[in-house]
Amino acid sequence: MKDIISLFFAYAKSGIKTRFQYKLDSVVSTFAVFFREAAGIIAMYFALLKFDTINNWNINELMFLFSLIFITYGIFIVFFMALRDFSDWIKHGDIDRVMVRPRGILTQLVLCGADWLAALGHGILGITLFILSANNVGVEWNAGTVLYYVISIASGVLIQGAVFLFFSAISIYFIETQSLKEIVYWNMRKFAGYPISIYNKFIQSLLIFVVPFAFVNYFPAQFLLRKPDMAAYPEWFMYISPFVGIILYIIAYIFWKFSMRYYKSTGN
Amino acid sequence: MGTYIQFAAIKFRNNMAYRFEYLMGILNTVLNFLVYLCIYRALYGGASEIDGITFSMVTTNFIISLGLTNAFSKNEMFLQDKIKQGTIANELLKPVNFKFRMLFEDLGDGFFKVLFNFLPAVIIAMLFTEIMPPAGVFGFILCLVSAVLGYIVLWYISFIVQTLSFWLFNVWGLITIKNVFVNIFSGALLPLWFMPEPVLNIIKFTPFDSIFFTPVQLYIGELQGYEILINFGRQIFWIAILYFIGELLWNKGIKRLVVQGG
Repeated sequence: MKDIISLFFAYAKSGIKTRFQYKLDSVVSTFAVFFREAAGIIAMYFALLKFDTINNWNINELMFLFSLIFITYGIFIVFFMALRDFSDWIKHGDIDRVMVRPRGILTQLVLCGADWLAALGHGILGITLFILSANNVGVEWNAGTVLYYVISIASGVLIQGAVFLFFSAISIYFIETQSLKEIVYWNMRKFAGYPISIYNKFIQSLLIFVVPFAFVNYFPAQFLLRKPDMAAYPEWFMYISPFVGIILYIIAYIFWKFSMRYYKSTGN
Repeated sequence: MGTYIQFAAIKFRNNMAYRFEYLMGILNTVLNFLVYLCIYRALYGGASEIDGITFSMVTTNFIISLGLTNAFSKNEMFLQDKIKQGTIANELLKPVNFKFRMLFEDLGDGFFKVLFNFLPAVIIAMLFTEIMPPAGVFGFILCLVSAVLGYIVLWYISFIVQTLSFWLFNVWGLITIKNVFVNIFSGALLPLWFMPEPVLNIIKFTPFDSIFFTPVQLYIGELQGYEILINFGRQIFWIAILYFIGELLWNKGIKRLVVQGG
């Protein structure tokens, strides 16, 4: 375990050095990511000056909902970037290099790749939204709610990690999975920013059962905020995020293990 | 002219090669449209109109902005890539106008996107919602003319940011930030009818609202008489200004250009 931690820091150090080689460029790029992701929220802020609420959620509650998406992604990308870019690794034959090293393949993948730029851009946005909203949404922050919040964040990271583990297993067969990721992950993530109760049943089911983003932000936020639209869903949905994360990750891991047996190098 | 059309045609055919990509692209567009509908339905909360803006005006605004976004798709890293790889030296030696070539490659891309991404998506979207018909033949023609002018405005904004790659190591960040301004201030994300007054007062002094919103207003028939003239005037005014800045930066940049190898 100690070995793994020191490996993570060694990778992180060299990763940060490479990434921030050009200081001005990395500051501008980080800000660009932050600003790009914030655009939808800024538009929503303007919209709610006119419309007040969306399905009874006001701007603070909406920002709180968004913050969970961005904070979990900021942490997720520190650990799972290699899985996000797994098809590139396969295309370039980089996996072969990983395979001959004396550590588990997945261990190396999780430790080595951190997209620090995205982590900062998304992470800072998430924290900003959290700070702006946390005290204005009627949540009483005590040991219980803080603990619930921390567990929710961890579950959110795990759920997204599992989704990307699925993608990387699929790219072993198909190699190019960019457009699939675009639809299944990036779009769904954008949709999950809003209370899912505004969508039709089809999109709701996608967000609950297929790409369970609802357990990353909507149901955890509901536990803390208790908005009336929760009545449409079973109450226990608010308590199962960690289990969704763990079970999904185990299934994804088994699928990934199984798929790796069929891995063929693209040659180099 | 024939040469440049060839550039557009090649770009168009390049896109044809990725069939799975464009099927996914259509699905993506439809999905985004459905979600947008849900969001605005929730915002309207059952009301048929808010401040005189009907729900179908909002969806029409979205459809037109979406179509123009497709038509206006650009390869914004084009110039930087050419400079970084050093191939710009060869490109400049060729007997074609570099900027025209850039423009026509973008047109080829845009034409493909409208035909194979936007049109199928609109046909599917019409199953789910009503889209307003244009305000007469005349209104539709005016809309098309102002869409062309809007395209030129947007293209020049992009071109200006791209020319900064003569000076900067990487313009990706600036392009991304520019796109945020375009998306918010042009009304592509939130129709300008709903923008708060102070923000609108700022937008009035920028070229952004003449990109998508003028065509939308002409399509719906919101502009009458001299308002039409004023809006066309604004578009032409901005094209002139942006063209001037673009030329200035381009000429300065070319003089400054140092190619290492290539």
